[in-house]
Amino acid sequence: MERSIRCIFRSGRSLTLFVSLISVLSMSAQVDRSKAPRPGKAPEVRIPEHRSFTLANGMRVIVVEDHRRPLVAVQVKFDIEPIRQGELAGFIDLTGELLGAGTTTRSKQQIDEQVDSLGAELFSSPDGVYASCLTRNLPALAEIVADVVLRPTFPEEEFEKARTRALSAVQSRKEDPDGIAREVANVLTYTKGHPYGDVVTETSLEKVMRKHVEGYYKRFFQPKDGYLVFVGDITEKQARDLANKLFGTWTGVPFAGNVDKSGREVVEGLGTVYRAEKKPQVAKMRNVTIVDRPNAPQSVVKVVFPLELHPADPMALSAAVMNTILGGGVFNARLMQNLREDKGYTYGAYSSLRSDRVIGAFSAGASVRTEVTDSAITELMFEIEHLRQSNVGREELELAKNYMAGSFARSLEDPRTVARFALNTFMYELPRDHYNTYLARLDTISADDVRVAAEKYLFPDNADILVVGDKESLAAKLTMLSFDQRLRQLNEDGDIYRESVQAAPDGMTVQMVMDAYFKALGGRAEVEKVRNVRMDMSGSMGGMPFTMTQWNVEPNKYAMEMRSNGTLLQRIATDGAQGVQEGPEGRTEVIEMDLEDMINEAAPFPELHYLDLGYMVKLAGVTRVNDQDAYKVMVLRDNGGAVIDHFSVETGLKLRREEQKASTVGNLKIVTDYKDYRAVNGIQFPHLIVQKGPMELNLVVNEVVVNGGVDPDVYKVDL
Amino acid sequence: MERTLIFISTVMSTLTATAQAGRIDYTEFDLDNGLHVIIHEDHTTPIVAVGVMYHVGSKDERPDRRGFAHFFEHLLFEGSEHIDRGEFSKYVEKAGGVLNANTNGDRTYYYEVLPSNQLELGLWLESERMLHAKVDQKGVDTQREVVKEERRQRYENRPYGSILIEVLDRAYNKHPYKWPTIGFMEDLNAASEADYQEFYKRYYVPNNAVLVLAGDMDPKEARRSVEKYFADIPAGAKIERTSVEEPPLEHEIRDVVYDKIQLPAVVQAYRIPAYGTKEYYAVDMLNRLLSQGNSSRLQKNVKDEQGKALMVGAFTLPFEHPGIAIAFAVSNMGVSPEELERAMDAEYARVRDERVGKGELIKLKAQLESELVRENSQVSGIASSLASAYTFLGETAMVNKEIENYLQLTAEDLQAAARKYFDPSRRVVLHYLPQSQKQ
Repeated sequence: MERSIRCIFRSGRSLTLFVSLISVLSMSAQVDRSKAPRPGKAPEVRIPEHRSFTLANGMRVIVVEDHRRPLVAVQVKFDIEPIRQGELAGFIDLTGELLGAGTTTRSKQQIDEQVDSLGAELFSSPDGVYASCLTRNLPALAEIVADVVLRPTFPEEEFEKARTRALSAVQSRKEDPDGIAREVANVLTYTKGHPYGDVVTETSLEKVMRKHVEGYYKRFFQPKDGYLVFVGDITEKQARDLANKLFGTWTGVPFAGNVDKSGREVVEGLGTVYRAEKKPQVAKMRNVTIVDRPNAPQSVVKVVFPLELHPADPMALSAAVMNTILGGGVFNARLMQNLREDKGYTYGAYSSLRSDRVIGAFSAGASVRTEVTDSAITELMFEIEHLRQSNVGREELELAKNYMAGSFARSLEDPRTVARFALNTFMYELPRDHYNTYLARLDTISADDVRVAAEKYLFPDNADILVVGDKESLAAKLTMLSFDQRLRQLNEDGDIYRESVQAAPDGMTVQMVMDAYFKALGGRAEVEKVRNVRMDMSGSMGGMPFTMTQWNVEPNKYAMEMRSNGTLLQRIATDGAQGVQEGPEGRTEVIEMDLEDMINEAAPFPELHYLDLGYMVKLAGVTRVNDQDAYKVMVLRDNGGAVIDHFSVETGLKLRREEQKASTVGNLKIVTDYKDYRAVNGIQFPHLIVQKGPMELNLVVNEVVVNGGVDPDVYKVDL
Repeated sequence: MERTLIFISTVMSTLTATAQAGRIDYTEFDLDNGLHVIIHEDHTTPIVAVGVMYHVGSKDERPDRRGFAHFFEHLLFEGSEHIDRGEFSKYVEKAGGVLNANTNGDRTYYYEVLPSNQLELGLWLESERMLHAKVDQKGVDTQREVVKEERRQRYENRPYGSILIEVLDRAYNKHPYKWPTIGFMEDLNAASEADYQEFYKRYYVPNNAVLVLAGDMDPKEARRSVEKYFADIPAGAKIERTSVEEPPLEHEIRDVVYDKIQLPAVVQAYRIPAYGTKEYYAVDMLNRLLSQGNSSRLQKNVKDEQGKALMVGAFTLPFEHPGIAIAFAVSNMGVSPEELERAMDAEYARVRDERVGKGELIKLKAQLESELVRENSQVSGIASSLASAYTFLGETAMVNKEIENYLQLTAEDLQAAARKYFDPSRRVVLHYLPQSQKQ
């Protein structure tokens, strides 16, 4: 108490604080609020006991007793080696769903009715069944569980219903950005040839038949691979009796096949079954992939790669600590602090590092607003790299370890955790004392261990970066984040994306598209009367307002000036012979192809001159632009360059131009959209021009002057 | 017949025993400043949950500050007179604990789960939050962005994510339940320093809060610690709550919402009585009858047998003022929303026209009995159950007695509630359609 008063005087804080302190001191409860209270003696964390034994048929039984509540859970789980479903993807999930859809003695309706009447819950999955109920109902529920696991009939009618629902679920997933990201991230991490890279699609589900489901069940649901787990208000004796009664005589369908050296075998009903033939490798270099979601308000971003880390590996724990520090669930993790608490890019950023017997995986990501997608990726990559380059701080390490120790203690509140520990110990062949030594092992992990784990398990230069978001506004920026300056595009199923361009209707020609365009503008005769045009525009770039004026003069003169608060930002001009580009950094001559293109397309409506210029135009089909059908027209310049124009099927007007521009950072794709057409002197001009490249530019056209004359100084080229 | 009767009497007698087994014991007291404190002792695991429920939610917001209560929840992690920005969560995680909070129309709930030797830390943090929370401009600006991203992630960039927003807007005309808790960004942008001060002073006071401790502790020591940290927090002014009377819907409101989806969905919403009233439990029981478990009516008939839906659910929203019940179904491939809606309507007509049979009633009660035992298995859940019972059901004891509100319901009660509240001429119906179908 005395100490705090002295402290106040020494720090010379204000009188009011002193007075308020006195008033607090005069109260009965005296507390120094300025410091966090010290903890008491740390409580001991003990893992409750479990029992296990093996039935005559090889099935292992695990029992965790917890008599606090009159509740028991019973679970049957099969340890099945992953197999590749390939073009039949979906049959494993369907097997799980159909386990509960009928047995030799019960219809689906009877199973559902009986489970609900017991007040129980029962969930079937591809590797077994989980159920729970009040203690007194256990005999009845366990009998249903055994029936479902041992005597499923996979009724044809239920199979068809389940498949229809699975098809609907695939459709539904394709519109869910998180669902898309999950599937495509799996494809990028494991590749489609690996069991973990299987994607369930409409096409694969169309091929799945009831016999595949039945074949899978018969081959892989074997007692020697099975675990029967009881957790809750049950004794070992009761568990043993139930296990023997319900599962003791079960033999499964004896396995008579032969698995060859590469893991292949022929399974009745299922055909040739493939296992993981080779381990997925990390990417050769950092790639960026997009799945396009036009106009999405957010991008789902994921950084992924496979890694080899067995759950029993002694390094698994330091890898887990490393991931906790990076983004594994702690609020103070680096990703959360950087992307959310410092930058405000996202509601949450996380990472996961998964150990696995076959192949493990890393994933880090966040949902971020579209505008900051590239910045968010830069920060994600920075944090991943940073962990490899320098040791984590002491405080940070302590926080992560304490948090993990605390999570361990909290998890023991649920008796199912103890059963999970026992299951993992068997399945992953962990040391028998693996969980008992967990806290002690965690305690020894050092900052060096964390860096070694980061060096061994993080591959920022070989990561696949996936973005599910609006391609149009992101493409240029994302291209620059990949090592090869390429943006890959996949569809929602993780297959190579193909633009859906449909053939133009029969009889439609490029000449008809161009005629319709001139007609829509106001008629070819009127358009030909236009000798010069001035357009005054305004816009903003990165928050900075600017004005832009553009002059187009028949047949080959052009100028553009961009200013902000009177200061010249950029000027481009050609007098029909030479070209210049100038800005705050100085003046350069425009030459070669760039000059040719500028001169050729200087006129107010260069389309009038395409034939004379030797340009070729080709109708490439019909595609969608801003929710409208559009004719896609390839414009091939005589010098080998090309642009793509899009004309509305409905109105005839030009909607979009796409072109590639070479730059110091590689090829940039520039997309320009023409919107809000309005008539000036009887001719339609766009009054909103949106250009998407490395930056998005919205240009509002304030004034268009047609045939108002142009001072030659405007397009003068001084070199 | 006789067998059924015996079965019923067995169910009834065992129910009492089970209710006993799922019972939560607690002690409670008030501090002079009006803070209500509830303590539940449980030494199974060496952890303790600390929770504070403030009786303020989005329905207490000004109509031009929609989303403020939830935004404020974010700001109250920013620190206090003695806790700098970013330190609040660090204290908890460094101690091996977890922390979070959530807001709805009626209340805001903050909690930590800590190792049991860190109970005082939890009390200190919550008392700092209640006594003199502090937020700097960086905190306000960052959390505003974070909340915008939360809105985009949860409601805008997710198929069918806008359902609650669209339903509430049509189900209410005057009551603040009309707007969603997440609110609207223009309102958050408009919030000023004075708004924060006013809201904090008015609602974040001990007499508007309940503090709950659950887990491994000595209740006497815990009480001393509570007094140490909370007794000197000044009481606030008595809170005047204006309750807006919302008249029933006069007719069916029917609308189409276009979303980035492939499968259409049908949403139906009915206005229902407030949480805690007898009729609320009848409506909730009806919703269980309709969609809890695979043998429930909507699951069995609409989803399984007729194959009309990919998923279907019927939910009761437990609002302090009269709330809503929502039915939501996603069409199976090739099923039109009209067809799906007809199938759903048939089930709602059945609960109005026919009394629920004895067998179904027994099944529902069996499900409730298991649920009672299954829930409240963790101290964090127990803490929030106790806080809710105290805040919304009039007394903490309701945490153990609420089940009786369900068990005493008869088939007649259910039919009466169905007729009164599942009225097709006073409801909101939305069809969610793919954007591609928009003309």
